Amino acid sequence: MSTLLTHIAVSDGKIKRSSLEVLSRMTQLAESNGHSSEAVIIDTNASNYVDEVQKYGASKVYTISDPIFENHQNTPLLKALSKVMDEANPFVFGFGSTEGTKDILGALAANTDAAVLSDVSEFELIDGGIKATRPVMAAKILSDNEAHGDNILVSVRSGSYDLNESPTEAEVVDIDFSFDEGDLKATLREIIGASGDKIDLSEAETIVAAGRGAKDDEGQELVEELASVLNAALGASRALTEAGVMDPSLQIGQTGKVVSPQLYIAVGISGAIQHVAGMANSKVIVAINKDPDAPIFDIADYGIVGDLYKVLPPFIEELKKIKE
Amino acid sequence: MKFYVCIKQVPDVDAPIQIKDGNLIQDTDRMVLNAYDASAVEEALVLTEEHGGEVEVVLVGPEKAKETIRKALAMGADKATHITTEDEVDYDSAVYANVLATFFEDKEYDIISCGKQSQDTDAGLAGSMLAQHLNLSYATNAVGLSIEDENLVVKRQGDSGQEIIALPAPCLVTCSNDMNEPRIPSLKGIMQSKRKPMETIALSDMNVDESVLSAKTQVTGYKEKPAREPGQKFEGEPDELAEKVAKLLDEEENVI
Repeated sequence: MSTLLTHIAVSDGKIKRSSLEVLSRMTQLAESNGHSSEAVIIDTNASNYVDEVQKYGASKVYTISDPIFENHQNTPLLKALSKVMDEANPFVFGFGSTEGTKDILGALAANTDAAVLSDVSEFELIDGGIKATRPVMAAKILSDNEAHGDNILVSVRSGSYDLNESPTEAEVVDIDFSFDEGDLKATLREIIGASGDKIDLSEAETIVAAGRGAKDDEGQELVEELASVLNAALGASRALTEAGVMDPSLQIGQTGKVVSPQLYIAVGISGAIQHVAGMANSKVIVAINKDPDAPIFDIADYGIVGDLYKVLPPFIEELKKIKE
Repeated sequence: MKFYVCIKQVPDVDAPIQIKDGNLIQDTDRMVLNAYDASAVEEALVLTEEHGGEVEVVLVGPEKAKETIRKALAMGADKATHITTEDEVDYDSAVYANVLATFFEDKEYDIISCGKQSQDTDAGLAGSMLAQHLNLSYATNAVGLSIEDENLVVKRQGDSGQEIIALPAPCLVTCSNDMNEPRIPSLKGIMQSKRKPMETIALSDMNVDESVLSAKTQVTGYKEKPAREPGQKFEGEPDELAEKVAKLLDEEENVI
């Protein structure tokens, strides 16, 4: 029996949904292959999250708590992850593919001599390894990959698997950890625009994204009102973040965030390939654009050809009625 | 200040791609400097123009990749090292990182940089792997760089905001292509690039442990992405369109 271990990422006091998606998948693989599904939580106070983690089938939960984990810093996180790998010796160690994961995954693989596949959209166990599918070439095509070894790291795109509850009574193992801040060569000076009450794009169920067509104040207000009615996260195309109209952290696409909400509404976005690479996995896509030939219509489930300044006000009103 | 920028030659992702029997068929005349690496080169040039120093690019790849090295030299890099490989190799990120780690063993540098990922595989692993091998402090996904005293100050895009991190040299940073517009080489730059020093080292002559040259991960094939079918496109009066689509989202899709 081998161990399938899942890293549970915590951000702003909440477990990231993508971690629980990976845990759901790992539990399913463990059950059908006679392995054990385990999880590790690394946070200032990791035990706070054990109850939620055991809902998704982890039979053992490792906790590592230390004040150093208040903000993401790669050195202590690497040390903690390497330590839990020593302790749990996972055959597969799964991660949600967050920015925090991207920052450490290669280093962790180098540090522990593990094989690694990043940003996969599907994975399964094979003899002596895993088989996984990854979107490549700006997400235009898919590659089939295999990784072999005793320890394999895999990071999984958010939205690739559904949450699946299968509650267990988990054994909790608290791992001793200490980190001397003097060992930090890098200094985290500041975090700008921490999201606070904003909805995290990579975790959002609904996203309203604005493009060049909505760059003036009136367009922005309409887009924000639409997002607010739908309780959606706000996103942007590169054109808007480059123009300084929206914060760079809101950029969706190959160079920004990869998202996979249930509903994606693209307002005034033409649909450049780099943008599409970041949102094509959304379940339902709605595009509003006045250019009937905009490429976004090729991938949208529902396309509205029209001027957003004329379409959005009645659309917002209709949605408000439905929400009431 | 000595900058090394690790660059890679990649297929142009905008060129037509076909898949035949699970293999990628691409126009091999359309190979380009990885866009994220181009941003790393640009940033190194800007910082050395401001603070003095030298930019050297390093590339691991086949003979053909010399064109890409010339591009970086034409942009303004001072010199280059080309670690030559066979034409067809099955290297994963870990192999590249191991080869580069061997190269850097006896080098002196202040900053090593590279793109945050390569645009063909989008793996995003080699940078932090290399930092780990060289025991360097590092930051990934930089969207802004500056130099203050002896520190490289990195603005990086994290999960919940932009983090400002000071790294003492020597250090490593991986760059997003959101941070700048890489310059287009001038004619003068292109002419000068031909006279700039380029050292060529055959990978087989380097003292790289054989065991790290066999990749732990393999691409076993390629397949088409199931295409999203274009859905329904509506034209007409805004009020009617708004009502129709809102209703569909609510009643058919159940996503409101």
